[in-house]
Amino acid sequence: MARRPRAPSGPESLSEDREAVSGRLMASIGIERVTKRFGGVTAVRDLSLEIADREFVTLLGPSGCGKTTLLRLIAGFMAPDEGVIRVGSAALSTPTGIVPPERRGMGMVFQNYAVWPHKTVYQNVAFGLEVRKVGRAETHARVGRVLELVNLAGLERRYPSQLSGGQQQRVALARSLVVEPGILLLDEPLSNLDAKLRERMRWELKELQRRTGITFVYVTHDQSEAMALSDRIAVMHAGEIMQVGAPRAVYARPVNKVVADFMGLVNLISARVVRTGDEDGLVAIGGEHRVSAAVPPGAVAGEMVQLAIRPENLRLVPTASGDGSGSVPGEVAEVTFLGNLVDCHVTLGDGTRVRVQLDPGQTPEVGQRVAIRFDGRQSSVFS
Amino acid sequence: MAAATLALIVLVLLPLAFLVAGSVTADEGLTLTHFRDALSSRLYVQALRNSLILGAATAVLSVAVGLPLAWAVSRTNVPAKRFIHLTAIVSYLTPPFLTAIAFVNLFSPRAGLVNGFVRDVLGMPALTFDVFSMAGLILVTVPHTFPFVYLLAASALESVDASMEESAQILGAGRWRTALAVTGPLVAPAVLSGALVAFVNAIALFGSQAIVGLPGRVFTLPTRIYALFDYPPQYGLASALSLIFVALTVAALYLQRRYLARRSYVTLGGKGSRPQLVDLGRARWGILAFCMAVFLVAVAAPYLTLLAVSVSRSWGLHFWENLTLQHYRFVLLEYDVTRRAIVNSLILASATATLAVLIGSFVGWLDLRTALRGRKLLDYASLVPLGLPGIVVAVALIQFWLRVPLPIYGTLLIILLAYTGRFIPLGVRSANAAFRQIDPTLEETARVTGAGWLRTFRSVTLPLARPGLFAGWLLVFVPALQELSASVLLFSSGSITLAVAVYNLYETGALGPVAALAIVTMLIITAAIALATRLGRGAAAARAERAGVAQ
Repeated sequence: MARRPRAPSGPESLSEDREAVSGRLMASIGIERVTKRFGGVTAVRDLSLEIADREFVTLLGPSGCGKTTLLRLIAGFMAPDEGVIRVGSAALSTPTGIVPPERRGMGMVFQNYAVWPHKTVYQNVAFGLEVRKVGRAETHARVGRVLELVNLAGLERRYPSQLSGGQQQRVALARSLVVEPGILLLDEPLSNLDAKLRERMRWELKELQRRTGITFVYVTHDQSEAMALSDRIAVMHAGEIMQVGAPRAVYARPVNKVVADFMGLVNLISARVVRTGDEDGLVAIGGEHRVSAAVPPGAVAGEMVQLAIRPENLRLVPTASGDGSGSVPGEVAEVTFLGNLVDCHVTLGDGTRVRVQLDPGQTPEVGQRVAIRFDGRQSSVFS
Repeated sequence: MAAATLALIVLVLLPLAFLVAGSVTADEGLTLTHFRDALSSRLYVQALRNSLILGAATAVLSVAVGLPLAWAVSRTNVPAKRFIHLTAIVSYLTPPFLTAIAFVNLFSPRAGLVNGFVRDVLGMPALTFDVFSMAGLILVTVPHTFPFVYLLAASALESVDASMEESAQILGAGRWRTALAVTGPLVAPAVLSGALVAFVNAIALFGSQAIVGLPGRVFTLPTRIYALFDYPPQYGLASALSLIFVALTVAALYLQRRYLARRSYVTLGGKGSRPQLVDLGRARWGILAFCMAVFLVAVAAPYLTLLAVSVSRSWGLHFWENLTLQHYRFVLLEYDVTRRAIVNSLILASATATLAVLIGSFVGWLDLRTALRGRKLLDYASLVPLGLPGIVVAVALIQFWLRVPLPIYGTLLIILLAYTGRFIPLGVRSANAAFRQIDPTLEETARVTGAGWLRTFRSVTLPLARPGLFAGWLLVFVPALQELSASVLLFSSGSITLAVAVYNLYETGALGPVAALAIVTMLIITAAIALATRLGRGAAAARAERAGVAQ
């Protein structure tokens, strides 16, 4: 049979892991310089992240960025090659040994729900309590309560094959919640649902986290989902965290092109630095049209950079009103009506295409001469 | 449609109807005496009981052997996985009567090599093992049946999504608890299904039951039915017994289908992830030792024994002192019966495989690509032979063709009919699987581009289905080449087959030639597999090349 993992040596021994399992106060997670490799591929690279108790943190990134690996490292399904993962003050994962998942007292919801097809809804949800040797009466009461919580009351005797995807997803959620974990790990739990249901479940999850005070670690590649749910978002790329912060901050102030590109639509426009400076920086785009932008002090005048600005932060004004004012002239190339907004492509003098999103009230025509107003406070400059 | 229907009617349904008719008629008209005899005579009740014991014990032991191997290969870091897998495949491919003959050479009460060694060299006669017993019969049957459990269980274990088990783990269940509460119930249908298939196959093996059972007076349904064809033949009673046999088989297969249907939930998970392999630590060597033991009993012992017997002048503890190739010369060059048998079996197996795949393609294509009425019925009818043990097919064909004024009894043709009828299900299933993998839009594209039906079938459907059809051909060819249960009742001196020749030689006590012929049989099977694999791969390679040129 499987060998019991050895306890990691060191001052913080695993003797404390019991506390981690039961202690409501212990549900903070400390990830310290963790690296995980699979063969020659480094899935997680020297990654550190602190997650506070009761916090809702989302690991956001494209597939293959290492976010699921990180989640599985937290769950204890694998040991890190380097680094330590703590819950509270207890080191649960080290390269030399890990507390197995079954002794971590966490909950986890998988992308495919993993609802056991041979057990009824009730049996699925009651399993964790059975393992914990909770009495029958209490089990009954707790299962009833949690099914109420996820709106599944009355379906106790159904088998998963008789449930819709959304219902199965909520069974998986109830199964994890009933044991009252301090930490709940969610691996793209909404990605198999249709758009409408996904939106509703989003609300329910957020509400649930608020009510229960459980620490949520949530993995997704959907930036709008991440923004809707999280206290903080950690954007991952190639096994590293690019940026951590509140949704608003990450969206408005991406630290690099990767983050900007991943967090929604963004125009990346070639620009030449005219003057550095956070407040009074200037770049030239679309020929020699100067617009203000926060140019990092490392850049030198004349250097080519990229100006990143989101389509909804641009506005169309009738004509160019002179250099330096922040307006750049161009010609409308394409207009698409999308219901709640109008998506408009404008070609600048040097051929650069810029995407602008407008109120549905505005209806520019293809071929029309316009000017785009750039707001320096809403753009970023990347080298 | 008409051709496929006609083939099924002639090959399966009419003989079966005559079997039923024969079981309830006698000289004086309609009667139930045959069934009364079959169910009241001690002779037949005992045979029925023995068949049940054999089937049940074999099924249980097949699980005991097949499940640990499946688990080790699919879920642990046991070494030499390929070797373990090959052990199961080779065990499955080995003709069961060869295993039986080999074990007789090792464990017959007097002349068995192992028994002789234990008795005369070790001086411990109490430790000898009499192969001519129910225990012996079970021992020589399990090597042929455990692969069913192994293959089904391994594929089930591999298709259980890792998250199913991880969910239990994160909820606090340890490895054992997870295995009991989640993995076990999820793979149980596959394991049970494998056990039932093992049961059905075990009770149908005429060869081992005749070779090992008869000398030990362990009679079973097939050997009793066989005995009823001794002069004067009792066709009515044989038909009644056959139908009882069919009932047993069909009941087991019905249960198996029900369990197999429940297996669908193994694949319920969305995008699957493979479970992490269990690190066995030192225990892996224990598991490997178990696998080695299975290899020893199921593969090494039979083959080494047959090889040794085939090259020695006299069998015994000092057999290597008088090596010879005379047995090979005898069966290949001198004895015209065995030479004829080899040619006959090659013709029969090739023709059967081709016919079965052809009919299977028709039935499969009709089922999947047309909306013709009755196509489902056709599909079901083609599976009927699954419920018919080989000897029953023979009895049914005899009943039918003795009453039809066509002189095919005693010819190769009747054996070909028997084989084709028996192996149609394999052909249909392979063809069905091969066509199912082809997206219909590929064919529709051809039609839209202007290709006619035939053109589409020839240049799109067939090339794409070819590897699957080749596999199906092989799947029929191998068992057809070693078929004994039906042939043994249908052959004549002109239409003798390989397996019958082996069996007849064995009956005369010519162990050397038997072993030589057995080895030749295995060589032919190996060569056929190698050839078919190459052809199949060749087709695929040629297609890839064409695709490359097209780009």
